[in-house]
Amino acid sequence: MTHRSWSVWRKELRDALRDGRTIIAVFVVPFVLYPGLMLFMGWIESQNKKEESTLQVRVAGVDAVLVLPPGIQPAIARGDSVKVELLYKDADHKSSAAEERTRPVLDDVRRALIVLWAQSHGAQVNQPPAISVEHRDVSSKAETGRFIAALVIPYILVFMVAAGSMHIAIDTTTGEKERSTLETLLSTSTSRGELVLGKCMAVITTALTAGFIGIFGLWFNLTVLAGLMPALSGQSLQLTIRPDQALFIFLTVLPTAIFLGAALVAIGCFARSMREGQTYATYVYMAAVFLGLGSFRQVGAPPIGRFAVPILNTALLQREILTDTVVPIHAIVAIGMSAAMAAVMLVIATRLFSNESVLFRT
Amino acid sequence: MAILPREAPGVRLIEVLNLRKTFHDRKKGDIPAVRDISFVCSPGQVFGLLGRNGAGKTTTLRMLATILAPTSGTAKIDGFDVNDRAGEVRKRIGYLSGDTKLYDRLTGRELLEYFGQLTGMASPAISSRISELKGSFGLGDFLDKRVGKMSTGMKQRLSLARVVLHDPPVLIFDEPTSGLDVLGAREVLKIVRDLRAKGRTIIFSTHIMTEAERICDEIAIIEKGSILAQGTVDSLRRENGGGSLEDVFVKTVGEVNGDA
Repeated sequence: MTHRSWSVWRKELRDALRDGRTIIAVFVVPFVLYPGLMLFMGWIESQNKKEESTLQVRVAGVDAVLVLPPGIQPAIARGDSVKVELLYKDADHKSSAAEERTRPVLDDVRRALIVLWAQSHGAQVNQPPAISVEHRDVSSKAETGRFIAALVIPYILVFMVAAGSMHIAIDTTTGEKERSTLETLLSTSTSRGELVLGKCMAVITTALTAGFIGIFGLWFNLTVLAGLMPALSGQSLQLTIRPDQALFIFLTVLPTAIFLGAALVAIGCFARSMREGQTYATYVYMAAVFLGLGSFRQVGAPPIGRFAVPILNTALLQREILTDTVVPIHAIVAIGMSAAMAAVMLVIATRLFSNESVLFRT
Repeated sequence: MAILPREAPGVRLIEVLNLRKTFHDRKKGDIPAVRDISFVCSPGQVFGLLGRNGAGKTTTLRMLATILAPTSGTAKIDGFDVNDRAGEVRKRIGYLSGDTKLYDRLTGRELLEYFGQLTGMASPAISSRISELKGSFGLGDFLDKRVGKMSTGMKQRLSLARVVLHDPPVLIFDEPTSGLDVLGAREVLKIVRDLRAKGRTIIFSTHIMTEAERICDEIAIIEKGSILAQGTVDSLRRENGGGSLEDVFVKTVGEVNGDA
């Protein structure tokens, strides 16, 4: 980085910090909106569970209907097999809850009928089932917090890094074209490589800031705010990341932020208008979110090939870091691949920024 | 501040030789924008490129400013070729287009500091030059105001200050009065004259005849990417049987288009 690239970096950040859209994308959304939404959704869910516990099945009502065939009593008395129907709506929360509550009742009826039938055939069956299972979660708040952190933080980081870099990357490239400030910049004695490097650095700084604020927002909302507010106390968690984990996570997210930032700057160089640039950037953002979700859904140890897929590899590796199950070869492949992709993307962005047929494409 | 060596009087500060630019369009094929033009500007001269919209003025000036690369031919600024010494060329020029804008979210001072840094000036030199330009360009009232809140005239004065900030020997002005009212345009022309008086070499494109007549020492009439006529205003008038510069322009351009 030359002195001139730092000048570009400073100017772009100053410019971005005076733009309300960047403030919303980097500070408001990661700190307030997403963690707030998560809390709110959790609170709604807990309210629904409370309702479920008091919900009564109203046969022939709106929640679920038990349909008994005609002549069921004589049929049972004869020992015939009968079929009853339980009608409910899976898409309706109250209806599916009613179905869940009815099912064990029907199982009890079935068991009682079997006992009656066996007794009528001379068998000594008068004992209740030997094993009854009661499910109870004995995880501590810290353990639940660790589990949630390992599940959510990699995804939130990828998601916020992509979201945080989107607007500034397009604004600093396509925006320069659209606002007719690009020619002025290109006629200065700063080389195009220095210009694009400064711009990429500003995008990466914003992306990492958005990622950091996303994690901080998650911690603040789930650990501090939820603990303080009685209505949300059921949602409170102990989210803790050790300093060594934080450092390792930063090292994994850095090449990904460079890769995403440079990719978005390259797109900005290519796009003719802000609208076109934002459309392409949205595709990149969606791809990042999709790959991040891949880690969210990963069950068990992932195959090594997944650590070669950009963005997904970062999220998978962060999960291993947060659960203290890092496999060295996974870390080497993931960080190596991300760094290589970041370098390639920086070269592409510089080439595109230096190519007049791309930059002045009409 | 970078002090660049000044050429001795009489030396060609801008030298353009067979400069050509062809754009390629997938549907239309090759589109020649500038066709083998050549001209020379001496130090302390205002050289005017006079032509209609789309005649090739902007493309020519963009090649001189190294924003676009020539398809063939060459141009030298202060002895440095735009093809292989673009960095050195950019150190020696100040480029301003009537279409170019400034960063709305920066203040005038921040903008000048930014461009000073991009041209390699040290911070103390930038501060002292800003103080100097504040007086000579009348920036005092609005230097610390955000560009987005400035009037068109203020922005144009700030743009001119930006162009001369690093004190380049060559100034390239592409229709600098475009979009300005009469008073704004007069102010810009006065600044151009002052810069010439200080020995700067200026290449000035316009489609406004009166502007060219008032300010240019030498004029090249450009049409469809080619220079059709070149000389001082008086010599062009003489060669075309008198009349105003507008008459000369209409006759010259009309001949090539078969309208004369």
